[in-house]
Amino acid sequence: MNPRKLLFTVAAALALLAAACGGTTSSNSSETGTLTVWLMNGSAPQSVVDGVNADFKAKHPNVTVNVEIQQWSDVTTKLDTAFAGSTPPDVMELGNTLVAKYASAGALANISSKKGSFENSGTWLQSLTDSCTYQGKLYCVPYYAGSRAIIYRTDMFAAAGVQVPTSMDDLLTVGQTLMAKHSSDPQFSALYFPGKYWYAAAPFVWDFGGDIATQSGSTWKGSLNMPQSQQGLTVLNNLVSKLSRADRTGDELKQDQAFAQGHIAMIIANGWEVGVITDPKSGDPSLKSKLGAFPIPSHNPGQTAPVFLGGSDLGISAKSQHAALAQEWVDLLGGTKFQSQMVTVGGVIPNTTTLVSLSSGLPAVFAAAAKNSRFTPNSPNWANVESANVLQDMLVSIFTGKASIPAATSAASDKITTILNS
Amino acid sequence: MGVAGDARASVATGPNIEAGPWRSILARRLLPYALIAPAMLVILGVLGYPLGMLLWLSTQHYGLRELFQHQGEFVGLKNFATILTDAQFGYVVRTSLLFTAVNVGLSMLFATLIALLLERVSRFARMLLSAGLVFVWATPVIPAVNLWQWMFDYEFGIINWLLTHIGAGDYIHHNWFENPVQGFAVITVIVVWGAIPFLALTLYAGLTQVPRELVEAAEIDGARPWQVFANVTLPIVRPLLIILFSLSTIWDFGVFNQVWVLLNQRPSKDYFLIAVYSFQESFRVSQYGLGASAAVVMVVILAIVSVFYIRETVTLTTEDA
Repeated sequence: MNPRKLLFTVAAALALLAAACGGTTSSNSSETGTLTVWLMNGSAPQSVVDGVNADFKAKHPNVTVNVEIQQWSDVTTKLDTAFAGSTPPDVMELGNTLVAKYASAGALANISSKKGSFENSGTWLQSLTDSCTYQGKLYCVPYYAGSRAIIYRTDMFAAAGVQVPTSMDDLLTVGQTLMAKHSSDPQFSALYFPGKYWYAAAPFVWDFGGDIATQSGSTWKGSLNMPQSQQGLTVLNNLVSKLSRADRTGDELKQDQAFAQGHIAMIIANGWEVGVITDPKSGDPSLKSKLGAFPIPSHNPGQTAPVFLGGSDLGISAKSQHAALAQEWVDLLGGTKFQSQMVTVGGVIPNTTTLVSLSSGLPAVFAAAAKNSRFTPNSPNWANVESANVLQDMLVSIFTGKASIPAATSAASDKITTILNS
Repeated sequence: MGVAGDARASVATGPNIEAGPWRSILARRLLPYALIAPAMLVILGVLGYPLGMLLWLSTQHYGLRELFQHQGEFVGLKNFATILTDAQFGYVVRTSLLFTAVNVGLSMLFATLIALLLERVSRFARMLLSAGLVFVWATPVIPAVNLWQWMFDYEFGIINWLLTHIGAGDYIHHNWFENPVQGFAVITVIVVWGAIPFLALTLYAGLTQVPRELVEAAEIDGARPWQVFANVTLPIVRPLLIILFSLSTIWDFGVFNQVWVLLNQRPSKDYFLIAVYSFQESFRVSQYGLGASAAVVMVVILAIVSVFYIRETVTLTTEDA
């Protein structure tokens, strides 16, 4: 309410900035001090973090490691503030779409020369390594990857007598059969698709040969308005209008809780979301035996659609006073021992191809889906496209019928072109 | 009302007949300034400095790289040119003005009605009503908005359930924020709900100052209730109304929390009020210079509104003197 609050916030940021103008102290890599690490909520199981800290402590008994857990919703604001100050965290987990933004702004340490010293650096996942690379230099260490597939209720499929769909047309048919079977339930969604869920919409764009933006030389051009992109969105719009009763302006944050309520047959989700759905507090543990997963099918029968390869990287702050210690800590979490645990306990896709085969059960489906994966435009300005909600706004206006697909995609493309080239 | 005025009057026009030597006159003239100096310093520190920094920032190209390196680039008025020619900013300003007009109007209307009601109900009812108002006033904004958000939730909200069950239509899976007009109606309900307690209680306090004899005299002369209100009550509480009106305008023009929390920190473009726009430009898109210039525009518009408020306060005090 108070308009002054805004001014104070701006002023506070500036005050921080002024305070940060002090001199730099020379870095002496003594074996004492505190290493501050920011990890994201839900990324590493507590047992893995504890294990890394124990191993680190064994080598450096006088160094205290402070692992602080951050929330995805406000992490960019917190990172901006921290990097503007004089003592940002030494190590931070960064969503792979955020790295270019911070690398280009000079916040991350260039670790190109140290690459060889990291375990498994020769077999890191290409897509994650790409996300760590800006203008040919390495600014972070791949941490883990995640990809989306469709989680479904095996019991509902069996009751409706349908099989796992093998094409997008098939997905529609299967969904419509499920809708008919549950026609007495006004809350039922065969495929629950919240309107702002662009990570789940991108596979439809890519599958028809469309893209979010294309680069020629140093200029970017939004390409959601190209015919292939529009075709993918048309197919998706049809699926959403016929199979989903999810909030057309909502986001995917509550989809696991909604799924656990029992009125949904399919959602497009990350591998770790299985854990949220069957969590005794937030979900329904009895669903554990009734869940299956399959990759998003392509419009070409028998193939799978390319999915967005999400994931996180571990960066080291350019202003870190303990760069050497930070690297050691990162190497532990990114190395074989703890990456194996990330796969078996955390159910994520590890940072190296040599460990992918460790996943079994449902996580294996997600790992398989990741084989056909794509990444967002690797531009420092991409994070601004995300923060400006360009894709979300476009999807919402398509699903709610506020704008036609050609109009909505043209507007979004123009905006993407402007932001990426600014 | 006018306590401040009286105090000022006694300082300014106090007994200066026995004017002493010039030294004591000087001391007497300087004393008031010396007394307000500490307060002025604090105000300069907490208001003047940020405002100055804001003005400076609005003339800079200031992105993420500049933030980390603590070094902006002077671009003159380019930021203002950018936002003033931005079609979206035009929409934002128009929406904010309309939103403010509607919210101030409704807040003042309901607050006046409740204040009039408070004056007429029994002691017990008045106590109950005041307590209710104080409870609303005492609820912190963020938890309150979160509760409203739950009530209007698409999937699990009680409003949709209630409306459906009392037969007002099919509100299962009704989305209150799909249509911005409906969405802004919900936001208006929350803002007005939060604004009423302060306005109503202050107005009620003002109404108790209306001399009983005047009202009775008017009634004896045959004035109808609304005539009494329009010709006796209203002129007396008018200064108070103008002050509350100005304050409401300042608050409602800067509405941020309600929109931000209600729409999960990712409001769509339709819901950009000026404060949301400024925040988005600064902290989401990392264009601190553009965000600052939007904030400057906001300050200028509010300064114009404040003129009424300050003029009324000054008139009040000088009248009393």
